[in-house]
Formats: sequence, C-alpha cells, structure tokens
Amino acid sequence: MIDDAVSRRVFLAASGTAFASAWLAADAGDLRASLAHAARAARSDVLLSWEALTPEQAADLEAIAAQIFPSDETPGSREAHVINFLDHSLATWAAPQREDLIRGLDELNAEAARHWPGASRFALLAPKRQLELLRAQDQTPFFQQMRFATLVGMFSLPSYGGNAGKLGWQLIGFEDRPAWQPPFGDYDAEAGKDGR
Amino acid sequence: MRSARRSVRFRPGATVDFVVVGSGAAGGIIAKELATAGLSVVVLEQGPRIEPEQFEHDEIKTFFQSALQNPPAGFTFRRTESDPARPGQIQLLYHRLVGGGSVMFTANYWRFREIDFVERTHLGAVPGTGLADWPLRYRDLEPYYTKAEWELGVSGVPGPFDPPRSRPYPLPPLPVKSSGVLFERGARALGLHPQPAPLCILSQPFHGRPGCQHCGYCLGFGCEFRAKSSTLYTVIPMAEATGRCEVRPNSYVRKIEVDSRGRATGATYFDENKQERFQPARAVVVCCNGAETPRLLLLSTSNQFPNGLANSSGLVGKYLMFNGYSTASGVFERPLNEYKSVMATRLLYDFYESDPRRGFYGGGALDARAFVYPTMFALAGLPQDEPAWGADYKRMLRDYYTRTMNVDGHSTSLPLETNTISLDPEVKDAWGLPAMRVTYRDHADDLAMMRFLQKRAIEVLEAAGARRTWGQPVQETTLAAHLLGTCRMGNDPRTSVIDRHHRAHDVRNLFMCDGSSLVTGGRGQPTATIQALAYRAGEHIARFARGREI
Repeated sequence: MIDDAVSRRVFLAASGTAFASAWLAADAGDLRASLAHAARAARSDVLLSWEALTPEQAADLEAIAAQIFPSDETPGSREAHVINFLDHSLATWAAPQREDLIRGLDELNAEAARHWPGASRFALLAPKRQLELLRAQDQTPFFQQMRFATLVGMFSLPSYGGNAGKLGWQLIGFEDRPAWQPPFGDYDAEAGKDGR
Repeated sequence: MRSARRSVRFRPGATVDFVVVGSGAAGGIIAKELATAGLSVVVLEQGPRIEPEQFEHDEIKTFFQSALQNPPAGFTFRRTESDPARPGQIQLLYHRLVGGGSVMFTANYWRFREIDFVERTHLGAVPGTGLADWPLRYRDLEPYYTKAEWELGVSGVPGPFDPPRSRPYPLPPLPVKSSGVLFERGARALGLHPQPAPLCILSQPFHGRPGCQHCGYCLGFGCEFRAKSSTLYTVIPMAEATGRCEVRPNSYVRKIEVDSRGRATGATYFDENKQERFQPARAVVVCCNGAETPRLLLLSTSNQFPNGLANSSGLVGKYLMFNGYSTASGVFERPLNEYKSVMATRLLYDFYESDPRRGFYGGGALDARAFVYPTMFALAGLPQDEPAWGADYKRMLRDYYTRTMNVDGHSTSLPLETNTISLDPEVKDAWGLPAMRVTYRDHADDLAMMRFLQKRAIEVLEAAGARRTWGQPVQETTLAAHLLGTCRMGNDPRTSVIDRHHRAHDVRNLFMCDGSSLVTGGRGQPTATIQALAYRAGEHIARFARGREI
C-alpha cells in the first residue's frame, strides 16, 4: 500500500543515492498488454469500454482524481485522462491493487450516504460536498492510493494512458526532449554571460 | 549489435580458470583484468543483459515496478537482534542486470582521501564501534583510481581538498547547471570552497563513446547514449574481446562449492529456467555487492565450513554500512530547470574530516542536486507542511517544479558489529533459498552528522538567495543503495574476512571484491573506491594465477 511514509522514503532516497518504491511488481507481459491497450485507446475516437471498472466506479474515481488534481484556469486530471491510466493499470500491471481500491471506494460511498442521506455515489455529490468528504478522509490508505495513482497518471509516460498530450508535463514546465545543450536554466545562462 | 560481438561460449562443464560472480562495478573490471591477463573467465550474472538502446525514460518501470532491481519482498528487516524481522521495512537498492549498479547509478565519482584509510589511528577508537584502519593506504590505491578514471572515462577537475593524484582527470567537468551556480554563490558567501563534482560521465567524446547529451535521466536509469561510463559497455566488451571471457546472464548463484581440502571448486547456479547447473573453476571471485556477497558465503555451508564459507572470524555479513544521507531544498525566483543534464555539478568537501569540536564522530560533503523526475517531484517534491492535493497543491507544483534545487549531505556510517546481513530462518526468496535478513540501526553520531550537514545545506541555500528553504526530517535509514563493509579487509584473520589482496583468509582460491571489502565507508560515494579496489585486486589475482599461487 502506498502511503505518505513511502513517498517520504522515496523522496529521501531520491536525491541522495538512488530510489525505488513498490507500488507493485509487475510482469513484463502485463506491461506490454497495458501499453498496447493504451495505444489502441489513443487511436480510437470512442472510449473503449472499461477494462477493470464499472462505469459507476470509473465516474467516482474520475471525480476523486479531479479533486486531487483539479481543472481550474488550467487543465487537470480529467483532461489528462488519468482515469484511463487508472483503468488500464488496474486491468494489467496494477491488477493486484484493484480489490483494495474498490473496497476503499465502496467505504467512501458508504461514508457519503451516512453524511448525506440519499447520496448514492461520490460522483453525484455537489463539488463542495466532494471536497468536504475528501478532506475528512485524506489520511486513509484509499485516499493515499488515489493520490498516488492520480499523480502518476498525470506525470508518467503518455503510453500508460494518462498525461494525455503530455499535458501534465506542460503544466509544470517539463519539456520532453531526448537531449539538451547548456544553458539549462536562468542562473547558469546568466553566469555564462558574465564570462564565468 | 550483440550478435556481432565475438564472445566465447565455453562448453558446459568445462573447467575455466575463474568464475566471477556478479558483473557490476567490481565484477566487470575483475573479469576484464583477468581475461586480458590471459586467463579464462565465466561471469555469472543473476540479471538479464540489456543493451543501451533498450533503455527508456520510464519512471513507472524504473521506480514502481522494480523491473531490474531486487524485489522489495526478497528480504526482511529488523533494527536490532531482539526485534522480529519483517518483510518490507527497508529497501536495499541494487540492480540485477549485466553491469549491475554501474548502469543505473548517479555516477558520482569521489576518491577517498588519505584520512579515510587511517582514521582509527588519527582519531583513536570510537567506543562501541569497529572503526579500524585499512591494511592499505591511499598511496597504494592511487594508481588504480587513476586507471579507473582513464579506462572508464571520468570528468572533473581537482579542488582544494582533493588528495594527490598522479594524472589529471581525462575529461573536463560537465557544464555547470543553475543549481551549481547558486550553490557556488551561497557557499562562497559563507567562506566555503565549492568545486566541480567529479562524475563517471563523459563530458566529451571518449574511447568511441559520445559525450553527455544532458537528457537528465541518470539516477536510476541506464544511459542510452553510453555517456555514463558503466562496465556494461566499457570493460565488459574489452573482456569479451579477448575471446577468453563469457558473460552468462540470468544465472543466479546459490553456492560456492568446495572440495575435501577446503578449496573452492566452482559455483552452483540456477539458469534462466531455474535449472541447477555447476560451473567448475580453478578459483572463484565473488563480486555480488555488500549484501549479496556475504549472503552467498553464508549460503555456502559445507562440512568444512558449517558457519558459511570463509567465515572463521564470524564476521561475514557484519559491519554493514550504508552511508549517511540528508537533504534540504530551496526554491528560487527564476527557473533553474534542474530536470536537464546530470544530477550534480558542484560539491564541497569543507566538512569532510571528523572534527572533535562538533562533539561527535563523522564527516561528509554537500552537493547541489536535482530531484526532478516529474512523477517523483509531484509525489514528494514540495514542503511537507503544504497541501498535498487540490487547487493549492497544483498551483504550488506549477510554481516550484522548475525553480527548486536540493543540497544534499553525504556522510559517514560507523562500522558496527551489530549491523548485519544474515539469512532469514523462515522467509524464502523466489528460488526457495533463505531470504536476506538485514539488521541495521544508525549510530547516534551518524544521525548527528546527517543533521549537521542538513543545517549547513540550509545555510548554503539561504546564502544563495532562496526565497524559501525546507528540509526533510532526518530519520533512521529506511532505504540504502550503498552496501558496504560486510567482508572487511584486514591483516588479522580473526578480525577480517579478506586480506589486503582480497583473498579469503580461510580459502586460498577464493576472493571477494566489491563494497563488502571496505573497512570504512568514506563520505558517501563509494563507487570510485570499489572500482579502484577492483583494478588492484584484478592485477594481484592475475599475478597469483600466473605464478601458481592459487
């Protein structure tokens, strides 16, 4: 299970030595299947049917992802197709996580119904209520798993199904090129001009 | 490309001069030194062979699927002997493929200094620890540091605290990044002495390989341009070109065999189909890294060696060291774009030596670092007291991503007999062998040194003009990539596992050479020393073989 302790550990290790996490150990064959599906989806105008999720589950998870990385004056997780990434991953290399994730979602929906009698699904809540519910839940393993999946879907290679059109990278200023030449940033450019 | 390589394939069951277990930073060099000296060599590597053109900039595969790393479930962890050992509490990070960690490492290439070899004499004993002098001095190793730098390809320029060197670096430093410019500015304002960071990466074309293309994917990634000087495409092809060296991937060694006289006879291993095979050899060199080497020796029990091979001292697996590590971050007004080019271009060694006035043992260095793979930064790059999701998080991520840099501290680990690699009595690995059990607790002085360096890092960032700085809390180690000290070198067979030529005290034709050989861990970047030791060991072992001293 991905939790904050793991991401902290990843962070700590990252710049010092080398780093790793273990969202899952996946099989190379599964991975290829996932990539092939993503490639098909990218070519298709109509959304392929969900692989790992029911339409209701997909709607709920997409709504949660949209609160984690919202669309505001700039695009967010919806435009980056994070839900496609999540569905394909859960059907392939992340399949062992599906059960936990769906159980977490069911518990969240039950919690919503306790708060607001008559509320059936997260996706149908008013945005304000969605936010209120998630704020109360954001230390749960389910939420941490969704945060992890949303951010990985936003910023990983588009071939996994998310980061559509490299939108996530554009948002943060990461330009995807195979090679660079100096100067790299403002401060080394300036130092170069000073003749250093 | 591979099919064009003229690599010998030995007949199954044919006895060769040497089996080398492991093809990484040390094993690749040992294989080349032995093969070019006219000896026949089979290298058994547990991982696959992957050519540089197959490397990808794929964070998911690299960091979340552990595709080429040891699976996290493969070992157990406990802080002390009295704790229960559990899976998944710590990550030992190493890579299973031809070239090993030399393919994926960040490529920092720091020489040890004179003091690292004689610190025990210089400082006196540190009570409760195994701090000891090496049976070598810096001057003994200097020619081999030089050989490594010139044969592999290392870029740098000496700084004010560097140890003496017999030749300059073969290549000038990599171009400075914005983090390096800011680090220099801050450090100089504080009266410190920053210098270019030496890297095992080509700044210019060298030996038929291109210079660095500044793609930004060094840490954890293989270099598709072959500009990072990995053994995979430097010394290993040189070994193969002799026609006397076969590198056998997907070969997982489970035991070093011995005969009734207590001499090593070869290695039993599982091939890619998990079929057991035996490779006979006149001598064996174990280069599996500081975790796998002691584990293999402990697995290699026999009537003559009931407590594990070469373990009469009882020290195989003990004195495990990880190196201390801390990090601080700063965000600046304008873009640094640290996601481009190598991980570090400037460092400083002002705090290298242990200083009694600090009140604790330890020393280290600071370097200006990028931490910028997009997914990693999104997950963990922002200050921990800020929102981790939602509109405010998104705004901050967009502001900070191109404007943030790190200053990291790299420091000492005291050798403690209680920090160990051993065999788990219950948990098994994927081949049904006892899993590795790690027992590790950072010494209080190591933690104090990490905190000390983090404070200095914050000062450097502030002096450089950061608009905000923050540090990740210094905690006990939960992830380690430097695996050191577990078959330590020494003159006395009662207090060490190998002699000064890497020969096991207990077995005349068995040698160990990798991070496990180190007596002390230096200040955080051990690869240059591991590779210098490998060149030196290879030369001596070849001489022994030719002189029938094995």
